[in-house]
Amino acid sequence: MLRMDRTASPGIVLVSHSAAIAEGLAAMAAEVAGGDVRIVAAGGGPGDTLGTDGGRVAEAVREADSGAGVVILADIGSAVLSVRAVLNDGMADGVAAVLADAPLVEGAIAAAVTASVGGDREAVRAAAEDAWNVRKL
Amino acid sequence: MSASSEPCRAVRLPNGIDLHARPAGALVRAASAYQSAITLSAGDRCADAKSILQVLALGATGGTEVAVAASGSDASEALEAISSLLATLA
Repeated sequence: MLRMDRTASPGIVLVSHSAAIAEGLAAMAAEVAGGDVRIVAAGGGPGDTLGTDGGRVAEAVREADSGAGVVILADIGSAVLSVRAVLNDGMADGVAAVLADAPLVEGAIAAAVTASVGGDREAVRAAAEDAWNVRKL
Repeated sequence: MSASSEPCRAVRLPNGIDLHARPAGALVRAASAYQSAITLSAGDRCADAKSILQVLALGATGGTEVAVAASGSDASEALEAISSLLATLA
């Protein structure tokens, strides 16, 4: 069984092909959410290339977890595949992590704010996925 | 519908303070503490005050007027808190 502590706040992992995107977005989401949410960037491939690195994602998931599980957001294509491989291969050491089917930037902001007001992992995931429904124009 | 009895209030945002990023997050966190549904409107747009993406999409800039409406069991407290928060954003 996966551990889930409902008194803790869910963590968020941001996976992008670009380390700069993941780190910049983590900073932006933390600013909007007020800084009490554990948001970990997992961007870039091995050796600072553009890409994704399953080991880095797994490490970020473990770092983001404080007992309430983790919601992962990814950018495109192989980032999604890398996250799925990490989850399917059990690389996250039993952390209750889920991949949100959400746009990365908007989803991260919505997820971070929802975690900051006490949302559980499923609420955080739902907030990220609801980002598809908010139009820009 | 008893829309006419729903409490609402218009607030002017402080000059130079746009409802984005950190101020928007602070507003959504405050709104989330109430059971009531809280709606903001600015120009021709409306937003659920508990949805950060909707609040950001309002695009309300400093000095403009935002209308706040609340409905629910704690509507008057919510209206008071959100209105004063908006008016004193820094």
